Amino acid sequence: MKISIKWLKDYVSFQLPAEKLAHKLTMAGLEVEKIEDAGDDVILEMEVTPNRPDCLNFQGIARELSAVLDKPLKLPKVKKLLYPKTRCDIEIADQKDCGRYIGTVLEPVQVKASPDWIGTRLSALGGRLINNVVDITNFCLLETGQPLHAFDYDKLIGGKIVVRRAKAGEKIVTLDGVERALDPSVLVIADAQRPVAIAGIMGGLATEVTNQTRKILLESAYFDPVLIRRASRLLGLKSDSSYRFERGVDFATVEAGAARAVSLILTEAGGGVVARRDVNPGRVRAQGKSVTVSLMEINELLGSELTVAKCRTILKKLNFRVSAGGPGVLKVVAPSVRADIKDPVDVIEEIARVVGYDNLPLTLPLVRAQNVPPQPEYPFAHKLRDIFIGQGYNETVSYSLLSQGSLDKSGLSGLPVVRVKNPLSLDQEVMRPSLFPSLLGIVRSNIHRGQKDNKIFEIGKIYLGQAEYKMLAVMGSGTRDKDWRALHNRAWDFYDLKGALDQMFARLGLTAVVYEACEDPFFKKGTGASIRAGKTALGRVGEVDRGLLQQWDIKHRAVFYAQCDFEALYKLASKKPSFKKFSEFPGVTRDISLAVKEDVSFQKVKEVILKQGGALLEDVAFLEEYRGEKIQPGYKGFIFSIVYRSSLKTLTEEDISIAHGDIAQALIDQLGVVMR
Amino acid sequence: MWNFDDIQQKALQEIDACRDLDEAEALRVKYLGRKGLLPEIFASLSQASPEEKPLIGKGANQLRARITEALEGIKKRVQEETFDPTQRIDVTLPGVAPVLGHKHILTQIIDDICQIFVGLGFVVQEGPEMETEFHNFSALNIPVDHPSRDAFDTFYLESKDPGNPGRHLLLRSHTSPGQICIMEKYAPPLAVVIPGKVYRPDAVDASHSFMFYQIEGLLVDEHVKFSDLKGLLTVFCKRFFGEEIIMRFRPHFFPFTEPSAEVDISCYICKGKGCSVCGRKGWLEILGCGMVNPKVFSAVNYPKGKYTGLAFGLGVERMAMLKYGIHDIRIFFENDNRFLNQF
Repeated sequence: MKISIKWLKDYVSFQLPAEKLAHKLTMAGLEVEKIEDAGDDVILEMEVTPNRPDCLNFQGIARELSAVLDKPLKLPKVKKLLYPKTRCDIEIADQKDCGRYIGTVLEPVQVKASPDWIGTRLSALGGRLINNVVDITNFCLLETGQPLHAFDYDKLIGGKIVVRRAKAGEKIVTLDGVERALDPSVLVIADAQRPVAIAGIMGGLATEVTNQTRKILLESAYFDPVLIRRASRLLGLKSDSSYRFERGVDFATVEAGAARAVSLILTEAGGGVVARRDVNPGRVRAQGKSVTVSLMEINELLGSELTVAKCRTILKKLNFRVSAGGPGVLKVVAPSVRADIKDPVDVIEEIARVVGYDNLPLTLPLVRAQNVPPQPEYPFAHKLRDIFIGQGYNETVSYSLLSQGSLDKSGLSGLPVVRVKNPLSLDQEVMRPSLFPSLLGIVRSNIHRGQKDNKIFEIGKIYLGQAEYKMLAVMGSGTRDKDWRALHNRAWDFYDLKGALDQMFARLGLTAVVYEACEDPFFKKGTGASIRAGKTALGRVGEVDRGLLQQWDIKHRAVFYAQCDFEALYKLASKKPSFKKFSEFPGVTRDISLAVKEDVSFQKVKEVILKQGGALLEDVAFLEEYRGEKIQPGYKGFIFSIVYRSSLKTLTEEDISIAHGDIAQALIDQLGVVMR
Repeated sequence: MWNFDDIQQKALQEIDACRDLDEAEALRVKYLGRKGLLPEIFASLSQASPEEKPLIGKGANQLRARITEALEGIKKRVQEETFDPTQRIDVTLPGVAPVLGHKHILTQIIDDICQIFVGLGFVVQEGPEMETEFHNFSALNIPVDHPSRDAFDTFYLESKDPGNPGRHLLLRSHTSPGQICIMEKYAPPLAVVIPGKVYRPDAVDASHSFMFYQIEGLLVDEHVKFSDLKGLLTVFCKRFFGEEIIMRFRPHFFPFTEPSAEVDISCYICKGKGCSVCGRKGWLEILGCGMVNPKVFSAVNYPKGKYTGLAFGLGVERMAMLKYGIHDIRIFFENDNRFLNQF
């Protein structure tokens, strides 16, 4: 809301420079966002919070200011008018839609340009001047907060006002010259035949007040805030009136605003009131609620040491009625414009606001030992992050919403995804059921920006059915870490990613992790593996299918992906391994070179070695895989390095030869391995 | 009798004149070698008189020490003079280190903020992102017809709310429903911070995103005061932004707190004078806060009048943007390596 300081001074006197005034208003809850110099005036733009529709006008702001500055409020004197007995024809279809409607008919009015004092005030705020009658309605809206509308009475068919919902198919051309289609969710003001205004939002062109108008009907009403808001959104049409109706106008101001406008029209445009009707006047008595609040409550909540007298003074300055409700107790009735005051805390907030938050004391809270346990997954997630950044992976954070298309392109169609009812764009259709499309999108955009080496991970949620699951996902593409001492940087591959995962499992103390070949729609055939520890499935790893990459516009590039279930990792990792004593005796390393049938996996060979090695075997390291002419067809070469060590004694040459020989024999017997 | 002074002088002159290691070796053989001068001197001891013996012994030992020392010195000098410069490494060539990755800046900011509160006795909790209307709105005293409930301001899901058939689940539009989750589960005293993603159907531009992070804070106990809220957030802001910042608490409105406030800090660019970053206000709005509205306590069935509480909420991206001078919120979610590598 924009206000002119010059105009504001009509209602409260002050001498503050604009910056000081802005600060006072801001610190009272009316935040001034902009101060604009306008010649001999200064325009303030302020944000009025939704609970304070009473401050969307000059009188309301002046009321606040008078309390904050401790200066008297000067409201214009409106002479009490004697209205004729003649009633105009007003009909309200549903009281819920329109709580009050005052129609005042005036004639003969002389429609012409506004007097200077109104013209300059409206122009200062950037308002367009129309004619004296229309300008007066706008002036009164800004002064009192009551939206008003004047109809050319002679153009109202049947001389009648009907407040009703629009009928399906009805149309209206509004004052801005646009034809608008209406439906029954929109409240309209109609005459005997057709809508002549969209209630609370904008009048119609057909009944506009022009220089030819002689007789007018002035509307002052209360419309349902929700109805106006929805209609305004539906029609894409906002106005100063709709803004105020949406936030709620005051039942009492419906009458005060009308009276002020009528008296100004009589002065500036002449004529007299020939008919009037106030429909539903019973609601006028809707007054502020009576609230009882004790000084103890006030000081307990604020941490202050205010006195009853101080609180009473503040509330009175805000036009609250205050009476004693016993020792140290205040009985408070807010003015009717303050519909937001209903409970003791509302009153306490008023006192705090006027005292000034900056003037209230500052203490440190006592934070006691509490019932809420820390969430151990939070530090665990940081541990995982540390493991991956330590291995050169960048952490990403990506959107949880995706397009259906990105799922289809990822071979992820057909999952029980969670759909968004009201996405703004196709990119927000579904909650992601996997981190795969998110990470692949990131790798793609980096590659397309010329950044070919990507090693990323994300710890984020996926959404399936009605549940949310945390996942860890890792993706890599490009070459291994650069080293200028090496001639060529080797391409980053499956084993680099697997190595990173193994590092994580080792750091988490997961020893029994097994990889098993498996097929997966988004992995290249023959490269996918499932990962488990005992019976717990942990995740999957593999090279991304090349055809799939093509669809993502990633060409001639290998991309590797792994995902792990965060909860499963957390549960297994929290089983703490115990300390193992290490041997004081020297260890001996022996290599073993094998020719192994192609269909025998590394895992099987290793298992046999470990099992046969028993207590003397300390460690098995894999040295080399070989394929080529030096080995018989159908076989591959494996070289292992085995460390033997006893915890009881220094092993003799004989001990080691026996152990090593046993392992060789077991491999020959169980796997048909040939020694090389 | 040997003239040790003359021998020493001559030997040292010869050694000093050496130009390479071979010459030095020849001199070593000449003086210290098996058939050299010193063995000869020691051999002469047997024929010396008892008076001469200690003098010769002492002199020979001194001579041997001086020659040995001089030879070592000359060897070192000759070695240096004959050093092959191709063996010198360029110590200015880059070192080779394993590459370290980077935690995302949002993760870092979230953790920085949470750790400040953890240090003050709070615990970190996370709540669900798919929420009910009750948690996201009703329990927080947001009325049924409030604009924020419109589909314009909240993402609704096709999934139905199991506890309230006919109503749909939604994506939480703020982290405040996390307050309700905690209070439904635990009785006071409690002090939690709740970081997480929130969603709003805002058209994406430099300052709007349909998904962003918030951190919620909640402290509930007997006798929690507004002055405690001021104190707590003052400690937080000074730790996060620096001791020198100036803060102000400005009255504001939130349905779930009363009194409510927004906290501004003095603009770090213009120091309060007014610039484009702070919109000429000299102040930067950084968080919303207030005393928990008693209606929220009744929504979670806390006994009436027993507890008071303070709550606050802040936008993580905004904090990061202020702290690092980032002007476009979209960059956080693009994950360009050149962005990630900076933090």
